[in-house]
Amino acid sequence: MLVNTKDNAVMAEVSAGQVARLALLFERHHRALFRYFVSMHGDREQAEDLVQEVFVRMLRYRTSYDPAQSFTAWMYQIARNSAVDHVRKRGAVRVVDIDTFAERRAELVSASPGPEESASHGQNLALLRRAMDQLPEDKREILVLSRFQGMKHEDIAEVLGCEVGTVKVRIYRAIRALEQIYFALEKEKVS
Amino acid sequence: MTCEQARLQMLGETEGQDLAAHMASCEACRNELSRIGAMWQSLDLLPLEEPAGQVRQRFYEMLGAYRQGLSSAEPRKTYRWWQLAAAAALLAIGLGIGYGMRGNGQVPAEVSQLREEVASMRQLVALSLMQQQSASERLRGVSWAYQAEPSDREVLEALLTAVNHDTNVNVRLAAVDALRRFSASPETRRAVVEALPSQTTPLVQVALIDLLVDFKEREAAGALKTLAANRDVNDGVRQQARWALEKLQ
Repeated sequence: MLVNTKDNAVMAEVSAGQVARLALLFERHHRALFRYFVSMHGDREQAEDLVQEVFVRMLRYRTSYDPAQSFTAWMYQIARNSAVDHVRKRGAVRVVDIDTFAERRAELVSASPGPEESASHGQNLALLRRAMDQLPEDKREILVLSRFQGMKHEDIAEVLGCEVGTVKVRIYRAIRALEQIYFALEKEKVS
Repeated sequence: MTCEQARLQMLGETEGQDLAAHMASCEACRNELSRIGAMWQSLDLLPLEEPAGQVRQRFYEMLGAYRQGLSSAEPRKTYRWWQLAAAAALLAIGLGIGYGMRGNGQVPAEVSQLREEVASMRQLVALSLMQQQSASERLRGVSWAYQAEPSDREVLEALLTAVNHDTNVNVRLAAVDALRRFSASPETRRAVVEALPSQTTPLVQVALIDLLVDFKEREAAGALKTLAANRDVNDGVRQQARWALEKLQ
Protein backbone atom coordinates (compact mmCIF):
# COMPACT_ATOMS: atom_id res chain seq x y z
CA MET A 1 0.00 0.00 0.00
CA LEU A 2 1.18 3.51 -0.80
CA VAL A 3 1.19 6.19 1.85
CA ASN A 4 -2.22 7.79 2.25
CA THR A 5 -1.93 11.40 1.15
CA LYS A 6 -5.59 12.29 1.58
CA ASP A 7 -6.22 15.49 3.48
CA ASN A 8 -7.50 13.77 6.61
CA ALA A 9 -4.43 11.50 6.80
CA VAL A 10 -2.03 14.41 6.23
CA MET A 11 -3.75 16.53 8.89
CA ALA A 12 -3.59 13.57 11.29
CA GLU A 13 0.19 13.54 10.75
CA VAL A 14 0.35 17.29 11.41
CA SER A 15 -1.68 16.68 14.53
CA ALA A 16 0.78 13.98 15.61
CA GLY A 17 3.70 16.42 15.39
CA GLN A 18 4.86 16.29 11.77
CA VAL A 19 4.05 19.97 11.34
CA ALA A 20 6.03 20.32 8.09
CA ARG A 21 3.31 18.24 6.43
CA LEU A 22 1.03 21.26 6.70
CA ALA A 23 2.81 22.54 3.58
CA LEU A 24 0.98 19.91 1.51
CA LEU A 25 -2.38 21.09 2.80
CA PHE A 26 -1.39 24.70 2.18
CA GLU A 27 -0.49 23.93 -1.45
CA ARG A 28 -3.77 22.11 -1.94
CA HIS A 29 -6.12 24.60 -0.33
CA HIS A 30 -4.72 28.12 -0.03
CA ARG A 31 -6.12 29.26 -3.40
CA ALA A 32 -9.61 27.99 -2.59
CA LEU A 33 -9.51 29.66 0.81
CA PHE A 34 -8.31 32.91 -0.73
CA ARG A 35 -11.18 32.84 -3.24
CA TYR A 36 -13.64 32.10 -0.44
CA PHE A 37 -12.53 35.18 1.51
CA VAL A 38 -12.42 37.39 -1.61
CA SER A 39 -15.90 36.21 -2.64
CA MET A 40 -17.22 36.92 0.82
CA HIS A 41 -15.57 40.28 1.50
CA GLY A 42 -14.00 41.46 -1.74
CA ASP A 43 -10.73 42.61 -0.19
CA ARG A 44 -7.65 40.81 -1.54
CA GLU A 45 -5.24 42.07 1.09
CA GLN A 46 -7.55 41.06 3.90
CA ALA A 47 -8.18 37.69 2.22
CA GLU A 48 -4.41 37.04 2.20
CA ASP A 49 -4.21 37.88 5.92
CA LEU A 50 -7.11 35.57 6.65
CA VAL A 51 -5.57 32.69 4.65
CA GLN A 52 -2.45 33.05 6.79
CA GLU A 53 -4.59 33.16 9.92
CA VAL A 54 -6.37 29.91 8.97
CA PHE A 55 -3.08 28.01 8.67
CA VAL A 56 -1.75 29.51 11.90
CA ARG A 57 -4.91 28.28 13.64
CA MET A 58 -4.56 24.84 12.08
CA LEU A 59 -1.17 24.60 13.78
CA ARG A 60 -2.42 26.06 17.02
CA TYR A 61 -5.41 23.71 17.23
CA ARG A 62 -3.83 20.77 15.45
CA THR A 63 -4.22 18.41 18.39
CA SER A 64 -7.98 19.00 18.43
CA TYR A 65 -8.36 17.67 14.89
CA ASP A 66 -10.33 14.43 14.67
CA PRO A 67 -9.26 12.39 11.58
CA ALA A 68 -12.78 10.95 11.39
CA GLN A 69 -14.05 14.47 10.66
CA SER A 70 -13.97 15.92 7.14
CA PHE A 71 -10.83 18.03 6.79
CA THR A 72 -12.57 20.43 4.39
CA ALA A 73 -15.41 21.04 6.83
CA TRP A 74 -12.93 21.60 9.68
CA MET A 75 -10.90 24.02 7.55
CA TYR A 76 -13.94 26.12 6.61
CA GLN A 77 -15.12 26.19 10.21
CA ILE A 78 -11.74 27.70 11.08
CA ALA A 79 -12.04 30.08 8.11
CA ARG A 80 -15.45 31.33 9.27
CA ASN A 81 -14.27 31.76 12.85
CA SER A 82 -11.19 33.64 11.64
CA ALA A 83 -13.39 36.08 9.71
CA VAL A 84 -15.71 36.53 12.71
CA ASP A 85 -12.76 37.24 15.02
CA HIS A 86 -11.44 39.70 12.46
CA VAL A 87 -14.72 41.59 12.85
CA ARG A 88 -14.39 41.57 16.63
CA LYS A 89 -10.83 42.86 16.53
CA ARG A 90 -11.21 45.52 13.87
CA GLY A 91 -14.84 46.44 14.28
CA ALA A 92 -15.85 45.12 10.87
CA VAL A 93 -14.55 43.04 8.03
CA ARG A 94 -13.47 45.46 5.31
CA VAL A 95 -16.06 44.96 2.63
CA VAL A 96 -15.01 46.64 -0.57
CA ASP A 97 -17.57 49.02 -1.99
CA ILE A 98 -19.71 47.01 -4.39
CA ASP A 99 -19.34 49.48 -7.26
CA THR A 100 -15.55 49.54 -6.93
CA PHE A 101 -15.44 45.77 -6.74
CA ALA A 102 -17.72 45.29 -9.75
CA GLU A 103 -15.71 47.82 -11.76
CA ARG A 104 -12.49 46.03 -10.92
CA ARG A 105 -14.09 42.74 -11.92
CA ALA A 106 -15.30 44.24 -15.18
CA GLU A 107 -11.75 45.41 -15.90
CA LEU A 108 -10.45 41.95 -15.11
CA VAL A 109 -13.00 40.35 -17.42
CA SER A 110 -12.64 42.72 -20.33
CA ALA A 111 -8.85 43.05 -20.05
CA SER A 112 -8.22 40.26 -22.54
CA PRO A 113 -8.38 41.45 -26.14
CA GLY A 114 -11.19 39.97 -28.22
CA PRO A 115 -14.13 40.68 -30.53
CA GLU A 116 -17.13 42.80 -29.66
CA GLU A 117 -19.13 39.91 -28.23
CA SER A 118 -16.30 39.39 -25.78
CA ALA A 119 -16.97 42.85 -24.33
CA SER A 120 -20.67 42.08 -24.05
CA HIS A 121 -19.83 38.77 -22.40
CA GLY A 122 -17.62 40.69 -19.98
CA GLN A 123 -20.46 43.08 -19.14
CA ASN A 124 -22.76 40.16 -18.38
CA LEU A 125 -20.15 38.69 -16.09
CA ALA A 126 -19.66 42.02 -14.34
CA LEU A 127 -23.44 42.12 -13.82
CA LEU A 128 -23.38 38.59 -12.42
CA ARG A 129 -20.55 39.53 -10.07
CA ARG A 130 -22.52 42.57 -8.97
CA ALA A 131 -25.56 40.40 -8.32
CA MET A 132 -23.41 38.04 -6.24
CA ASP A 133 -22.12 40.95 -4.19
CA GLN A 134 -25.66 42.17 -3.52
CA LEU A 135 -26.80 38.79 -2.21
CA PRO A 136 -27.25 38.63 1.57
CA GLU A 137 -24.10 37.18 3.16
CA ASP A 138 -25.62 33.83 4.16
CA LYS A 139 -26.90 33.21 0.64
CA ARG A 140 -23.62 34.28 -0.94
CA GLU A 141 -21.70 32.02 1.40
CA ILE A 142 -23.70 28.91 0.58
CA LEU A 143 -23.26 29.53 -3.15
CA VAL A 144 -19.53 30.10 -2.72
CA LEU A 145 -19.14 26.89 -0.72
CA SER A 146 -21.25 24.73 -2.99
CA ARG A 147 -20.39 26.15 -6.40
CA PHE A 148 -16.95 27.73 -6.13
CA GLN A 149 -15.43 25.49 -3.49
CA GLY A 150 -17.17 22.36 -4.81
CA MET A 151 -17.99 21.16 -1.31
CA LYS A 152 -20.30 18.23 -0.65
CA HIS A 153 -23.66 18.99 0.94
CA GLU A 154 -22.63 16.92 3.99
CA ASP A 155 -19.51 19.06 4.50
CA ILE A 156 -21.46 22.30 4.07
CA ALA A 157 -24.00 21.06 6.62
CA GLU A 158 -21.13 20.42 9.06
CA VAL A 159 -19.65 23.88 8.48
CA LEU A 160 -22.98 25.68 8.86
CA GLY A 161 -24.26 23.43 11.64
CA CYS A 162 -27.47 22.38 9.92
CA GLU A 163 -29.07 19.35 8.24
CA VAL A 164 -28.20 18.28 4.69
CA GLY A 165 -31.83 18.88 3.69
CA THR A 166 -31.56 22.46 4.93
CA VAL A 167 -28.43 22.96 2.82
CA LYS A 168 -30.35 21.93 -0.31
CA VAL A 169 -33.20 24.32 0.49
CA ARG A 170 -30.77 27.17 1.14
CA ILE A 171 -28.85 26.59 -2.08
CA TYR A 172 -32.09 26.61 -4.05
CA ARG A 173 -33.25 29.82 -2.37
CA ALA A 174 -29.87 31.45 -2.90
CA ILE A 175 -29.78 30.72 -6.61
CA ARG A 176 -33.35 32.01 -6.98
CA ALA A 177 -32.42 35.18 -5.12
CA LEU A 178 -29.35 35.61 -7.31
CA GLU A 179 -31.48 35.24 -10.40
CA GLN A 180 -33.92 37.91 -9.21
CA ILE A 181 -31.14 40.38 -8.39
CA TYR A 182 -29.42 39.70 -11.70
CA PHE A 183 -32.54 40.42 -13.76
CA ALA A 184 -33.36 43.49 -11.67
CA LEU A 185 -29.87 44.87 -12.36
CA GLU A 186 -30.19 44.07 -16.02
CA LYS A 187 -33.53 45.88 -16.16
CA GLU A 188 -31.98 48.90 -14.42
CA LYS A 189 -29.18 48.95 -16.96
CA VAL A 190 -31.57 48.89 -19.92
CA SER A 191 -33.84 51.60 -18.49
CA MET B 1 -41.82 13.05 -6.32
CA THR B 2 -43.46 16.46 -5.86
CA CYS B 3 -42.39 19.60 -7.71
CA GLU B 4 -40.94 21.00 -4.48
CA GLN B 5 -38.81 17.91 -3.92
CA ALA B 6 -37.71 17.94 -7.56
CA ARG B 7 -36.59 21.58 -7.34
CA LEU B 8 -34.40 20.83 -4.34
CA GLN B 9 -32.78 17.95 -6.21
CA MET B 10 -32.06 20.03 -9.33
CA LEU B 11 -28.88 21.53 -7.93
CA GLY B 12 -27.87 18.35 -6.15
CA GLU B 13 -24.73 16.29 -6.48
CA THR B 14 -26.49 13.28 -8.01
CA GLU B 15 -29.50 12.89 -10.24
CA GLY B 16 -31.75 10.04 -9.22
CA GLN B 17 -34.20 8.13 -11.39
CA ASP B 18 -37.11 9.72 -9.51
CA LEU B 19 -35.97 13.18 -10.59
CA ALA B 20 -35.55 12.08 -14.20
CA ALA B 21 -39.06 10.58 -14.19
CA HIS B 22 -40.54 13.73 -12.65
CA MET B 23 -38.79 15.98 -15.13
CA ALA B 24 -40.05 13.92 -18.02
CA SER B 25 -43.64 14.47 -16.96
CA CYS B 26 -43.57 18.04 -15.53
CA GLU B 27 -43.17 20.97 -17.89
CA ALA B 28 -43.10 23.57 -15.10
CA CYS B 29 -40.10 21.85 -13.49
CA ARG B 30 -38.33 21.54 -16.83
CA ASN B 31 -38.69 25.30 -17.30
CA GLU B 32 -37.49 25.91 -13.76
CA LEU B 33 -34.44 23.71 -14.31
CA SER B 34 -33.65 25.52 -17.51
CA ARG B 35 -33.76 28.91 -15.73
CA ILE B 36 -31.96 28.20 -12.50
CA GLY B 37 -29.66 25.68 -14.19
CA ALA B 38 -28.43 28.42 -16.52
CA MET B 39 -27.80 30.75 -13.57
CA TRP B 40 -26.03 27.93 -11.71
CA GLN B 41 -23.79 27.16 -14.70
CA SER B 42 -23.04 30.84 -15.34
CA LEU B 43 -21.31 31.07 -11.96
CA ASP B 44 -18.54 28.96 -13.48
CA LEU B 45 -17.75 31.81 -15.85
CA LEU B 46 -16.72 34.24 -13.14
CA PRO B 47 -12.95 34.79 -13.27
CA LEU B 48 -10.97 33.16 -10.49
CA GLU B 49 -8.94 35.42 -8.24
CA GLU B 50 -5.32 34.36 -7.69
CA PRO B 51 -3.48 35.16 -4.47
CA ALA B 52 -0.23 37.12 -4.68
CA GLY B 53 3.06 35.23 -4.53
CA GLN B 54 3.92 36.51 -1.06
CA VAL B 55 1.10 34.41 0.44
CA ARG B 56 3.26 31.32 -0.08
CA GLN B 57 6.37 33.09 1.21
CA ARG B 58 4.56 34.23 4.36
CA PHE B 59 3.23 30.73 4.98
CA TYR B 60 6.64 29.06 4.72
CA GLU B 61 8.19 31.71 6.97
CA MET B 62 5.45 31.12 9.53
CA LEU B 63 5.86 27.34 9.29
CA GLY B 64 9.63 27.60 9.69
CA ALA B 65 9.26 29.86 12.72
CA TYR B 66 6.68 27.52 14.25
CA ARG B 67 8.95 24.50 13.78
CA GLN B 68 11.89 26.36 15.31
CA GLY B 69 9.70 27.36 18.22
CA LEU B 70 8.64 23.74 18.69
CA SER B 71 12.18 22.40 18.78
CA SER B 72 13.38 25.12 21.16
CA ALA B 73 10.37 24.49 23.37
CA GLU B 74 11.28 20.81 23.77
CA PRO B 75 12.68 20.14 27.28
CA ARG B 76 16.44 20.10 27.35
CA LYS B 77 18.08 17.00 28.72
CA THR B 78 20.15 17.35 31.87
CA TYR B 79 23.40 15.42 32.25
CA ARG B 80 25.45 14.28 35.24
CA TRP B 81 29.11 15.32 35.39
CA TRP B 82 30.38 11.84 34.56
CA GLN B 83 28.14 11.69 31.53
CA LEU B 84 29.59 14.98 30.30
CA ALA B 85 33.09 13.75 30.97
CA ALA B 86 32.42 10.51 29.18
CA ALA B 87 30.88 12.45 26.27
CA ALA B 88 33.95 14.73 26.08
CA ALA B 89 36.26 11.74 26.12
CA LEU B 90 34.25 10.00 23.45
CA LEU B 91 34.22 13.17 21.37
CA ALA B 92 38.02 13.42 21.62
CA ILE B 93 38.41 9.79 20.64
CA GLY B 94 35.83 10.27 17.95
CA LEU B 95 37.64 13.30 16.53
CA GLY B 96 40.89 11.37 16.52
CA ILE B 97 39.69 8.24 14.83
CA GLY B 98 36.43 9.47 13.34
CA TYR B 99 37.52 9.44 9.77
CA GLY B 100 38.91 5.94 10.17
CA MET B 101 35.57 4.78 11.46
CA ARG B 102 33.61 6.07 8.47
CA GLY B 103 31.75 3.39 6.60
CA ASN B 104 31.28 0.97 9.48
CA GLY B 105 27.57 1.78 9.69
CA GLN B 106 27.56 3.61 13.03
CA VAL B 107 25.92 7.01 12.65
CA PRO B 108 25.45 9.40 15.59
CA ALA B 109 21.81 9.93 16.54
CA GLU B 110 22.00 13.70 15.88
CA VAL B 111 23.36 13.13 12.40
CA SER B 112 20.71 10.53 11.78
CA GLN B 113 18.02 12.93 12.99
CA LEU B 114 19.45 15.69 10.81
CA ARG B 115 19.43 13.39 7.81
CA GLU B 116 15.81 12.51 8.45
CA GLU B 117 14.98 16.19 8.72
CA VAL B 118 16.72 16.99 5.43
CA ALA B 119 15.01 14.04 3.70
CA SER B 120 11.67 15.20 5.03
CA MET B 121 12.22 18.74 3.71
CA ARG B 122 13.32 17.42 0.30
CA GLN B 123 10.25 15.25 0.13
CA LEU B 124 8.09 18.19 1.11
CA VAL B 125 9.52 20.49 -1.54
CA ALA B 126 9.23 17.80 -4.24
CA LEU B 127 5.62 16.97 -3.35
CA SER B 128 4.58 20.62 -3.02
CA LEU B 129 6.08 21.62 -6.36
CA MET B 130 4.59 18.63 -8.17
CA GLN B 131 1.12 19.87 -7.23
CA GLN B 132 1.55 23.32 -8.73
CA GLN B 133 -0.56 24.59 -11.64
CA SER B 134 2.46 25.76 -13.59
CA ALA B 135 4.19 23.03 -15.61
CA SER B 136 7.62 24.59 -15.00
CA GLU B 137 7.03 24.40 -11.24
CA ARG B 138 6.01 20.75 -11.58
CA LEU B 139 9.20 20.11 -13.56
CA ARG B 140 11.16 21.62 -10.68
CA GLY B 141 9.30 19.26 -8.35
CA VAL B 142 10.36 16.29 -10.47
CA SER B 143 14.00 17.50 -10.26
CA TRP B 144 13.71 17.58 -6.48
CA ALA B 145 12.49 13.98 -6.57
CA TYR B 146 16.07 12.98 -7.49
CA GLN B 147 17.12 14.10 -4.03
CA ALA B 148 14.48 12.03 -2.25
CA GLU B 149 15.38 8.73 -0.63
CA PRO B 150 14.88 5.78 -3.04
CA SER B 151 12.63 4.28 -0.38
CA ASP B 152 10.37 7.35 -0.26
CA ARG B 153 7.01 5.88 -1.26
CA GLU B 154 5.21 9.18 -1.21
CA VAL B 155 7.52 10.74 -3.79
CA LEU B 156 7.27 7.53 -5.82
CA GLU B 157 3.48 7.82 -5.77
CA ALA B 158 3.66 11.47 -6.87
CA LEU B 159 5.97 10.55 -9.78
CA LEU B 160 3.66 7.74 -10.90
CA THR B 161 0.71 10.12 -10.74
CA ALA B 162 2.67 12.58 -12.91
CA VAL B 163 3.52 9.84 -15.44
CA ASN B 164 -0.11 8.73 -15.69
CA HIS B 165 -2.04 11.96 -15.36
CA ASP B 166 0.07 15.08 -15.91
CA THR B 167 -1.27 17.11 -18.82
CA ASN B 168 2.18 18.30 -19.86
CA VAL B 169 4.32 15.91 -21.90
CA ASN B 170 7.61 17.36 -20.60
CA VAL B 171 6.56 16.73 -17.01
CA ARG B 172 5.53 13.16 -17.90
CA LEU B 173 8.89 12.55 -19.60
CA ALA B 174 10.87 13.99 -16.70
CA ALA B 175 8.86 11.88 -14.26
CA VAL B 176 9.62 8.71 -16.27
CA ASP B 177 13.35 9.50 -16.03
CA ALA B 178 13.12 10.21 -12.32
CA LEU B 179 11.57 6.76 -11.75
CA ARG B 180 15.01 5.21 -12.42
CA ARG B 181 15.94 6.22 -8.89
CA PHE B 182 13.17 3.96 -7.60
CA SER B 183 14.10 0.92 -9.70
CA ALA B 184 14.67 -1.28 -6.65
CA SER B 185 10.99 -1.26 -5.80
CA PRO B 186 8.89 -4.03 -7.45
CA GLU B 187 5.99 -1.60 -7.16
CA THR B 188 7.77 0.85 -9.50
CA ARG B 189 8.36 -1.86 -12.10
CA ARG B 190 4.77 -3.06 -11.93
CA ALA B 191 3.45 0.52 -12.17
CA VAL B 192 5.62 1.27 -15.23
CA VAL B 193 4.29 -1.87 -16.98
CA GLU B 194 0.74 -0.80 -16.14
CA ALA B 195 1.36 2.77 -17.35
CA LEU B 196 2.46 1.65 -20.82
CA PRO B 197 -0.96 0.82 -22.38
CA SER B 198 -2.56 4.07 -21.21
CA GLN B 199 0.07 6.37 -22.75
CA THR B 200 -0.68 7.80 -26.17
CA THR B 201 2.25 10.18 -26.68
CA PRO B 202 5.03 8.41 -28.66
CA LEU B 203 7.82 10.21 -26.77
CA VAL B 204 6.52 9.01 -23.42
CA GLN B 205 5.82 5.51 -24.76
CA VAL B 206 9.42 5.20 -25.98
CA ALA B 207 10.78 6.54 -22.66
CA LEU B 208 8.73 3.96 -20.73
CA ILE B 209 9.91 1.15 -23.02
CA ASP B 210 13.55 2.20 -22.49
CA LEU B 211 12.97 2.27 -18.75
CA LEU B 212 11.55 -1.27 -18.78
CA VAL B 213 14.59 -2.48 -20.71
CA ASP B 214 16.88 -0.79 -18.18
CA PHE B 215 14.90 -2.45 -15.39
CA LYS B 216 15.27 -5.81 -17.25
CA GLU B 217 11.57 -6.23 -16.51
CA ARG B 218 10.48 -9.49 -18.13
CA GLU B 219 6.93 -9.08 -16.83
CA ALA B 220 6.56 -6.34 -19.44
CA ALA B 221 6.55 -8.83 -22.33
CA GLY B 222 2.73 -8.96 -22.55
CA ALA B 223 2.28 -5.19 -22.66
CA LEU B 224 5.12 -4.83 -25.18
CA LYS B 225 3.66 -7.52 -27.48
CA THR B 226 0.27 -5.81 -27.41
CA LEU B 227 1.90 -2.49 -28.27
CA ALA B 228 4.01 -3.99 -31.07
CA ALA B 229 0.92 -5.58 -32.62
CA ASN B 230 -1.31 -2.48 -32.44
CA ARG B 231 -1.49 -0.84 -35.87
CA ASP B 232 -2.93 2.35 -34.38
CA VAL B 233 0.31 2.94 -32.51
CA ASN B 234 3.10 5.08 -33.97
CA ASP B 235 5.52 3.00 -36.14
CA GLY B 236 8.58 4.13 -34.19
CA VAL B 237 6.97 3.05 -30.93
CA ARG B 238 6.05 -0.37 -32.33
CA GLN B 239 9.61 -0.79 -33.57
CA GLN B 240 10.95 0.16 -30.13
CA ALA B 241 8.58 -2.35 -28.50
CA ARG B 242 9.87 -5.14 -30.79
CA TRP B 243 13.46 -4.15 -29.95
CA ALA B 244 12.64 -4.24 -26.24
CA LEU B 245 11.09 -7.70 -26.56
CA GLU B 246 14.29 -9.01 -28.11
CA LYS B 247 16.36 -7.40 -25.36
CA LEU B 248 14.26 -8.87 -22.60
CA GLN B 249 14.30 -12.42 -23.97
